Amino acid sequence: MAIIDPIITGLRSGWHHIDASTLQKNRHFEADVVIVGTGAGGGTAAEILSQAGLKVIMIEGGALKSSTDFDMEERHAYPNLYQQAAALKTADKGVSIFQGRTVGGSTTINWTTSIRTPEPTLDFWQQAKSVKGLSAIELQPWFEKMEQRLNIEQWQYEANRNNAALRQGCEKLGWEYTVIKRNVKGCWNTGYCGMGCPVNAKQSMLVTTIPGALEHGATLISRAKVVKLDYKGDKVVGLTAQAMSEGFKPTDLQITFSAKHYILSAGAIHTPSILMRSNTPDPHKQLGKTFLHPSLLSGGLFAEQINGHSGAPQSIYSDEFVWRDGAVGDLGYKLEVAPVHPVLIASKTIGYGVSHAQLMANFNQMQVTIALVRDGFNEQSPGGQVRLTDDSFVLDYPLTDGFWQAARRAFLSMAELQFAAGAKKVLPMHDGLSFFDSWNDAKQGINQLDLGLIKTIVASAHVMGGCAMGEDKTQAMVDSFGNSHYLENLSVMDGSVFPTSLGANPQLSIYGIVARNATALAKKLTAK
Amino acid sequence: MKRRTFLTGAFAGTAALALGVNLYSPTLTTTPDDVHHRVLFSVFIPIFLDGSLPEVPSHREIAINRTLDAITQSINHLPQAQQDELMELLDLLEGRLGLLLLSGSMTPLLGREPQQLIDMLEFWRFNFLDMLKVAYTGLRELIMASYYACPEHWGNLRYAKPTFLVSP
Repeated sequence: MAIIDPIITGLRSGWHHIDASTLQKNRHFEADVVIVGTGAGGGTAAEILSQAGLKVIMIEGGALKSSTDFDMEERHAYPNLYQQAAALKTADKGVSIFQGRTVGGSTTINWTTSIRTPEPTLDFWQQAKSVKGLSAIELQPWFEKMEQRLNIEQWQYEANRNNAALRQGCEKLGWEYTVIKRNVKGCWNTGYCGMGCPVNAKQSMLVTTIPGALEHGATLISRAKVVKLDYKGDKVVGLTAQAMSEGFKPTDLQITFSAKHYILSAGAIHTPSILMRSNTPDPHKQLGKTFLHPSLLSGGLFAEQINGHSGAPQSIYSDEFVWRDGAVGDLGYKLEVAPVHPVLIASKTIGYGVSHAQLMANFNQMQVTIALVRDGFNEQSPGGQVRLTDDSFVLDYPLTDGFWQAARRAFLSMAELQFAAGAKKVLPMHDGLSFFDSWNDAKQGINQLDLGLIKTIVASAHVMGGCAMGEDKTQAMVDSFGNSHYLENLSVMDGSVFPTSLGANPQLSIYGIVARNATALAKKLTAK
Repeated sequence: MKRRTFLTGAFAGTAALALGVNLYSPTLTTTPDDVHHRVLFSVFIPIFLDGSLPEVPSHREIAINRTLDAITQSINHLPQAQQDELMELLDLLEGRLGLLLLSGSMTPLLGREPQQLIDMLEFWRFNFLDMLKVAYTGLRELIMASYYACPEHWGNLRYAKPTFLVSP
């Protein structure tokens, strides 16, 4: 069946798009608002501001790829759609990071899980991080607005076997579980969300708000990497981007921008990096404090087919352990599953040679549970720090004792759950381990594990923080509406404003909070 | 694994390159350094992928060549800092002093028995030095990802992408 590509159709109808790799000379652009980044924050802000009649330019470091390009193969998806070809790691190589770098940002390649910001997180921000006006009640209309805009609804189909095992384990053990809400419309239930939706069912920014903004006259400039912003006194006066080649190598061509207002939505690593490179004020050294939901993986081998590559990648989660000890207590973790595709599984499992070959031969019987550790709420998990290098950045993220204690608890919970769901064997992803044959063996073995850097596989798909919001300047870079404390015509609208991690997948939190903040900004900018 | 098969794999990779055989991407370019690195990866691929590579020699050779091309492609996609780190490791492994430092022996990797290579990888893998663990995981992830990126290597997995889409 042929799928109509809304991006190709839109471009033919006259949308303003410039692929910076095709530029022949330096260019300058002017607008009411320039937005850096087109992910959950940038896309949402672009649509709201352009609908308000403002002239908007969106700048994206990645390329404009759409359903025609999404061929459901990891070998093309990772280099084309992910930061650093999905090989991004923290400075000590302890955590692998998956983050989008394409028009639509991570929303183009995420697994569609849509969860409102948990109330304990909002309460903690209010009490400990000086955030105002973001209670669950105050945010409700904004969540409702974006849920409607992006067709976010509870998944109505039967969960695939990968997710069903998570549900089954929870049922057996009496643990809480929830059916996930997803931002999809007419989903084909194929399971390739992480490689870009080939049928445009995922309501990512790529097919919703960005087309919405382009329809309202916005301009999109792709393959343009913003390197710095210029400011005088308390005003931003310009922004400079470097045109990238088709293969994402920097070229000598520069693109400059001037606007009434500037929004950074480049994600929790690049937003603080741009500010650091621009030497903007940061008297309290708050820039770049980053959270990851560092996640552990556990493989369960079942007798029957799991086919974890097929069907909605995430449709069930369990919050049994996220808040068990309160927001500031021992680190909690959320249980979800990960889709099982060859490159992801081959590289994020353990061992080599015959043992790894056997693991891969059982690929379709493998159920993969993940535990996302909620970081940033106490001294056990201070988070990481983005640091500039000569021409790039690194993220220091020390994995603390508190994290390893949570990791052990998480491995235990995942093994217990997988055996309860019927797994014949369970393998926590820690190098050197062999499959455990029973819950008793697993319990003993995991309790004796020497968990640690690199040998324990840790991954993250949720980069948050780096430019925290709050009213107290000693702990925040922007106020609770995302407006800079130091530069009057600069806002930050992405996951970097989170003062901690969320304890939930971030996209809906970004949509809701940015919808609120961009609406307020539009009102301010259009006031007579 | 017999030593002869092991060496055949290594030379096959080099020969394919010299002949310009390129199964992965028509835009692939090679430099003299790549030739050395291909030899090095040809040594490691049969170790990392023992049990996954086909048994039939000609099929095995094709799979190794394909993986070598995929590795070159994967490296090209890595950010410069990671490419630099990897090249540093490969250069060390190609020099006698580097080999002595990383493996306690000056014998070139090409001249080592498979078990000696496994011993070296195990030494890295469980070393108290993070640097050696990083060397092990870096090579492991690169080789595993490059091999399983190729649809022709999915036979054992019984995995295939859906075929419901056609070009408009």
